[in-house]
Amino acid sequence: MKKVLSLVLMLAMLLGMSTVFATEGPINIGCLQDISGPTSSLGNMVYGGVKWAVDEINAAGGVNGRMINVILYDTKGDVTEAINAYTRAVTSDGVSAIVGPPVANIGLAVAPESENNDVPILGFAIDKNCQLKPDGTPYKNMFAFQPAAHQQSAIMGEFAIKNGFTKFGVVYNEGNAYSVSLQAPFIETVTAGGAEVAQVVTYTKNDKDFRTLLQPILNADVEAVFIPNYTQELILIAQQIRSMGFEGALICGLDACPPFNTLFGEPADGIYFINNIDGTEPAIIDMVNNVKTATGIDATNKFFLGYDVANILKGIFEEVGTNPADVRDAVEKVTDYKGLTGNITIDPATHMPKGLEMVMFKYEGSTPIMLERYAAD
Amino acid sequence: MQILQYLINGIALGSVYALIATGFSLIFNVLKFSNFSHGALMTLSAFSGYFIAAGNGWGLVPTILVSVLTGAAVSLFGEFVAFRRILTHNTSPVYFFVSSITLGTLYEGIVVLKVGANFYNYPRFFGKPYRIAGLFVARSDIIIFCISAAALLLLAYMIRKTKTGRALRSVSFDRDTASLMGINVTRTIQFAFIVSGALAGLAGVFLGINYTLYPTMGSIVVKGFIASVIGGLGSLPGAIIGAMLLGILETTLISIIGSGYAPVFTFVIMLVFLLVRPRGIAGSNIQEKA
Repeated sequence: MKKVLSLVLMLAMLLGMSTVFATEGPINIGCLQDISGPTSSLGNMVYGGVKWAVDEINAAGGVNGRMINVILYDTKGDVTEAINAYTRAVTSDGVSAIVGPPVANIGLAVAPESENNDVPILGFAIDKNCQLKPDGTPYKNMFAFQPAAHQQSAIMGEFAIKNGFTKFGVVYNEGNAYSVSLQAPFIETVTAGGAEVAQVVTYTKNDKDFRTLLQPILNADVEAVFIPNYTQELILIAQQIRSMGFEGALICGLDACPPFNTLFGEPADGIYFINNIDGTEPAIIDMVNNVKTATGIDATNKFFLGYDVANILKGIFEEVGTNPADVRDAVEKVTDYKGLTGNITIDPATHMPKGLEMVMFKYEGSTPIMLERYAAD
Repeated sequence: MQILQYLINGIALGSVYALIATGFSLIFNVLKFSNFSHGALMTLSAFSGYFIAAGNGWGLVPTILVSVLTGAAVSLFGEFVAFRRILTHNTSPVYFFVSSITLGTLYEGIVVLKVGANFYNYPRFFGKPYRIAGLFVARSDIIIFCISAAALLLLAYMIRKTKTGRALRSVSFDRDTASLMGINVTRTIQFAFIVSGALAGLAGVFLGINYTLYPTMGSIVVKGFIASVIGGLGSLPGAIIGAMLLGILETTLISIIGSGYAPVFTFVIMLVFLLVRPRGIAGSNIQEKA
């Protein structure tokens, strides 16, 4: 009996040791993304950016001689899969940090779980509830590296008012945290700017035919429609509202960024959208060309978000080592990191970036045209 | 005017449901089971149309042809691998149901292997909508309605007026007696699967045009099933009427109570309707075997 007990204890100790992060050998970072689910186009781009940065870092000798090893976890766009993968990353794989997904529903599910560990999650979910608890204090491990929903919506709202739109319709998915988090701040901003929101229409994930839902918006004779939705729904809504004769502006979130223009199937004139990057900048153009040549992939905004975060982690590993708790404390203090997506400073009170710039675009035909930069305050 | 617009939207929606419901009903009519692989067959056919035709810049007609032919061929293959032996060995009809679910999973799996979870979009085949007396009618809706109507009229003619159609009706009424009368039952069932598959291909293209292509788009087959039940399982005219009613009911409910509650009320109305008239609008007392 004693022998059995001793064996069990030894096994437990060995297992326990294996979950502790390693101080030698490769540095493990997790990449928790939707690789095969409904938002896989976003997840694959983030992973592509992380991988590209890590390959660059390793080719240059790694971090103090240690290579970085990216462990990819496929959430399949599913909350349960995401939590299981997260648990595996922090308990079995000994990761020093996790690059999180740009998907609010996953972020919301993982946030409470993350409180039980010390591994920071550097994600891109723009719903502030992914970073902030109900009492307004931040989850200790949750960070966002792009402006929050209220900041993005405020930018889109300010842009709309500045460009003379005075009457709006809004259509959003009431079952999607991302969509919900964008609509209210937009309505607040344009209303505060003196404009009218004539119709707000909600739908659910099962809806595919939006024409009946969109009819009241058309009847209200609005000048612009705000559509903060994932790409597939956005394409359907944009196509159907155009097929109903609406020729006004469609103001969209990040989901209208390329490759929306190639997926849309028709000229996208009159569609305005917000983006993390300015595709006319030489550094961005260079990287897009290099990635295209090497992999055949057209790098989009999520690629650059992943790239910047991986490089931020490299700097932190060099500075404080790879202990997850130390990495987390350092992430909270990231200040003025000059990345391809802008100058990133994390606000310790919110775990979201301060003053990060975003860019408004419109399509002419299928070509995105850069219009104006805004700081997210 | 508003009501008329909703009616147009409802008929447009119902015409696609009608194609699904008819293909579904056709197999139910002959083999007396609900073929749940029909939705995945629609998906597979629609993606074939995309990759072989539309994605290479071919127009609407070649895209439809490729999808219809794929649907027919794959349906025939499905009949052979999943249903033939159950039929010839008079195995428990429950296996029809199990086989159809398995076959559907196989079709969907093939699509996922090829496209992952990504969605695709057919090129825009149609121009701007028509504006008639303040009403907007999308060109796609008109063309989809016309093609659907033509396909269903052709099917009705074939069933009523041709030798093959008469054989189909005989087999659907009583397979054993039809066989004794000299009808080749296997060939007739194969024919039913070919037609059902072709309708699935057509419906798949239209769904893809309206709602984009994605691996789980076949789940909309539930609407076709509901339409078949409302119309009376096994009745082709009933399936069409049921589909139109369902389309109009859905758009009307969405306009009145919004998208969140509309599906709930649709199902409640359907249940109440079936309580009052269990055999549907035009159905006879056919008992589903599985």
